[in-house]
Amino acid sequence: MNRQQAELLLQQNFKLPKFYDEQWKTIDRVLNGGRVLLIEKTGFGKSLCFQFPATVFNGTTVIFSPLIALMRDQEKKLQSLGIAAKCINSEQTPEENSQIIEEAKRGKIKILYIAPERQENNEWIEATRQMHLSMVVVDEAHCISVWGHDFRPAFKRIINLVKLLPKGLPVLATTATATKRVEQDIAQQIGGGITILRGNLMRENFKLFVAKVNSEDEKMIWLGKNIEKMPGSGVLYTGTRIDTEIYSKWFNYLNINSTAYNAGLDANSRIAIENGLMKNQWKCIISTNALGMGIDKPDIRFIIHTQIPQSPIHYYQEIGRAGRDGETAYIILFYNPNEDKKLPEAFIEGGRPSIKKYEKVIECIKTGLFSEREIIKHTNLKQSQFRVIKADLLEQGIIREVNYSHSKKYEFVPNSQSLNTKAFEELRAAKTKDLEQMIEYIDTTDSRMKFLCDYLGDNTNHVFTNCDNTGEKKIKVIVADEWTAKLQEFRENYFSELVVESRDSNIINGVAASYYGVSNVGDAIHRSKYENGGDFPDFLLRLTLKAFRKKFGNEHFDLILYIPPTKSGDLVKNFAEKLSQVLKITISHNLKKVRETKEQKIFENNYLKHENVSNAFSYISPSEIIGKKILLFDDICDSCATIKEIGKLLTNLGAIKIAPIVIAKTVGGDLV
Amino acid sequence: MNKETAYWMSLAHELPAWSFSNQSGWKNEDKINLIIQFYYEKKMTIEVFFSLSKEVWKTEFLLSEQRIAELQTCKLTIANYSFLAENMESSGIEAVPLISQDYSKTLKENLKKSAPIVLYIKGNKQIMSEESVAIVGSRDASDIALQFTDNIAKSVSEKYKVIVSGFAKGVDKQALDSSIACRGQSIIVLPQGIMTFESGFKTYYKQIIEGDVLVLSVFHPKAGWGKDLAMARNSIIYGLAKEIYVAEAKPSINRQGKETKGGTWTGVVDGLKKGRTIYVRQPENSEKNDNKILIQKGAIAVDNKGNVILKDSSKYVQKIFSF
Ligand SMILES: Nc1ncnc2c1ncn2[C@@H]1O[C@H](COP(=O)(O)OP(=O)(O)OP(=O)(O)O)[C@@H](O)[C@H]1O
Ligand SMILES: [Mg+2]
Repeated sequence: MNRQQAELLLQQNFKLPKFYDEQWKTIDRVLNGGRVLLIEKTGFGKSLCFQFPATVFNGTTVIFSPLIALMRDQEKKLQSLGIAAKCINSEQTPEENSQIIEEAKRGKIKILYIAPERQENNEWIEATRQMHLSMVVVDEAHCISVWGHDFRPAFKRIINLVKLLPKGLPVLATTATATKRVEQDIAQQIGGGITILRGNLMRENFKLFVAKVNSEDEKMIWLGKNIEKMPGSGVLYTGTRIDTEIYSKWFNYLNINSTAYNAGLDANSRIAIENGLMKNQWKCIISTNALGMGIDKPDIRFIIHTQIPQSPIHYYQEIGRAGRDGETAYIILFYNPNEDKKLPEAFIEGGRPSIKKYEKVIECIKTGLFSEREIIKHTNLKQSQFRVIKADLLEQGIIREVNYSHSKKYEFVPNSQSLNTKAFEELRAAKTKDLEQMIEYIDTTDSRMKFLCDYLGDNTNHVFTNCDNTGEKKIKVIVADEWTAKLQEFRENYFSELVVESRDSNIINGVAASYYGVSNVGDAIHRSKYENGGDFPDFLLRLTLKAFRKKFGNEHFDLILYIPPTKSGDLVKNFAEKLSQVLKITISHNLKKVRETKEQKIFENNYLKHENVSNAFSYISPSEIIGKKILLFDDICDSCATIKEIGKLLTNLGAIKIAPIVIAKTVGGDLV
Repeated sequence: MNKETAYWMSLAHELPAWSFSNQSGWKNEDKINLIIQFYYEKKMTIEVFFSLSKEVWKTEFLLSEQRIAELQTCKLTIANYSFLAENMESSGIEAVPLISQDYSKTLKENLKKSAPIVLYIKGNKQIMSEESVAIVGSRDASDIALQFTDNIAKSVSEKYKVIVSGFAKGVDKQALDSSIACRGQSIIVLPQGIMTFESGFKTYYKQIIEGDVLVLSVFHPKAGWGKDLAMARNSIIYGLAKEIYVAEAKPSINRQGKETKGGTWTGVVDGLKKGRTIYVRQPENSEKNDNKILIQKGAIAVDNKGNVILKDSSKYVQKIFSF
């Protein structure tokens, strides 16, 4: 097929007039059974390079894609063009997935999006035995490389798959964000005479700004004041899940139309937000980088970061969502030199568990065949830490992950090399350097676009005039008293939810008066609890009462119970008594511990936390509870395992409602 | 990882097999002849072979139109096998093709042109190059037979040789258990596809990672257990072993309720026909089994400890055996 013929088809099937030259170059090779690594800027149109050939081939094209949101996005677009595209993913029901697999087997699907993890699935493997496969695509191929900004262990398996594919079966890997090093790594891993096609990466329609600030307050105030003035709609990237919540509450408070998005939301909420984004339902979506990669919306007019990403390549990827229609888009990065390096540093430093922990895991795996859950229990590791260790050990070929009838187990690989800690050092050094580059981006006085292009290995001589160093006005943050007051008021009125509801319990979602660790509340609690500072101070009582009113209004409760502590004496009891007096709810001291428990904080994971408190409580005169609405108080909650456990106990004893309230919740757990 | 695995799997499993009803199908021998042609004579990899044109297949390899068509269909399945192969290899199972250095030399020598095109293995593949002894026998063997099995397994292990057995009840299981008990090495030869052996991999996890057990199958990795596979597996057990010991051959009742000679019997008779030396435990007079007949047919009688019993004098001869 020549270009002319292909473009005729393009017009018919994709309603696009013609290919860009680089697109045709890629497509031509792919149609001839070649293997191509295509590196082109964000928004270039890389998808067409596999979508078009997929419609030309007889069979099914399988596309490995790292993000479900991205799969859904592309599936929808293709379907609207009348192209048989489907995706299989963990957020669809098994029945839906089976249905799609059936269709694929019967040759009804041209383009099938799947996550790399799908290679573990038996039903999928069975299906691949019968499908007519035309091409394999690895979208966002930088995920293959540990030197990339978003390495995903499951992509390792895709590499192995691609190596096994027969010569002549077209393979296309695409990414916008590959430095030279990542490029080499991908090409070397895929092997088999792959052709690398690299385009220029500049995005001239961006207007790039950096705003240095002295505090989080300054960011919040500037945004509160200015976001409505930005053109169109956009995305605000924060560093953590908690921050998506705080900023969205702040915007709500200011009546700015926005919503929060992060990987902690359930699938349906995320789908609803993704759809709303496409329809410009909000001025602004506040998100972690869980929303991003590959998403194709033409008119995102601004992208603002409240927190610096780990590297310029992360940054390039995230801002790549903006202005894909070629019109101007505003790109703003906030940076507080006193604070903001800490988070990415924590990702780099804290992300890596100690060598001892690695050894613990290896030893455990050598003694038997265990699941993740079992290993976490045996080793008392945080789930997140275990996952880092697991990924490294898989990467180094020391262990392997094997499916045993629906449960994944970890096997030791006999005669494997011993743990290579030098690889960690190298990686850490590389990441530290990347972060330094990110800071350099902030401090540079030259063109910011050129800085990014250079960093990505696209050494262009183009003269840019699209940033605050090359002609655009600098952003200055000025804080007026009026705004300081507004923010203060917001802080005193914003309380975080305790999400504890579950099907088998009458417990409802409760409220925390603050976050432990990000406010003066944390310090006050700590003094009382661990430094013999006496009872919790009264301002905590005021705050907690406020939280109560905000969450439960004038709702009536029959009883107030408090959770008997492991240590720290009568602090909790005394505080509960004060609550009881003010709220005029009878207090009961009948909730008791029936066995020793350990302090929850020494357990690193939820399985052990749950075990620690499981069946640890009882109620002295249970008839008191029947038919009652109960307010359940504790000072701090972390995993909420204790609260949930007691919720179950009280439900079993006949309580009809259990509402938890705590002074503070910890900012632990998953960050993005 | 071998990037040609999917090619070998297609070649092994995707050509129509010879049978009485399909006389034009591929015999194992035909595949091996083809491999000899491209790999040993023309020194080309299987990847290169499959990328050749129809014309070259015809002129250089003298293949018939039908065979060429079959090879082309087979070639289309390589992409499919890639997915299966990746899934398989990621769980620690390896495909060892006939041309590999790792392929059991004993098996090749014994089976010649009926040697399987691919061995699927998990565990310590080094075991395949050790001296090996097969112990075979009935699924419901007598206590004496099991004791014999235990004796042989132990003395074999003491001599750092490898036990080959078939993972059935009775003698097979005893041979494996005894070998494991004294930390000897074993090969388990499966009557099924290797990817269906999940529970076994769980049970023998420790032995596998410590290098004491190798699990081996020659069938399509997803094939379920089958009677014909169990029979076919016997010749692999014989093929993998340098020496063969028979604990007990017993008749068995088939599904139609008819008494048959059973798998052990068939294996031994077949082995004898091929000129293999086979040691059969001398039964006591009270025993009801076919050991005696096998000895009459040419197997060598051994006592409970595996010592050879001289035919004429029934006296022990000390030195003949050599494990
Ligand atoms: N030849 C073309 N002519 C006009 N528009 C095109 C052409 N090719 C692609 N596009 C449009 O460009 C937009 C961006 O394409 P796509 O999502 O494939 O970008 P991408 O290169 O994958 O970017 P990213 O790296 O951000 O994922 C799409 O809306 C697509 O319809
Ligand atoms: Mg894309």
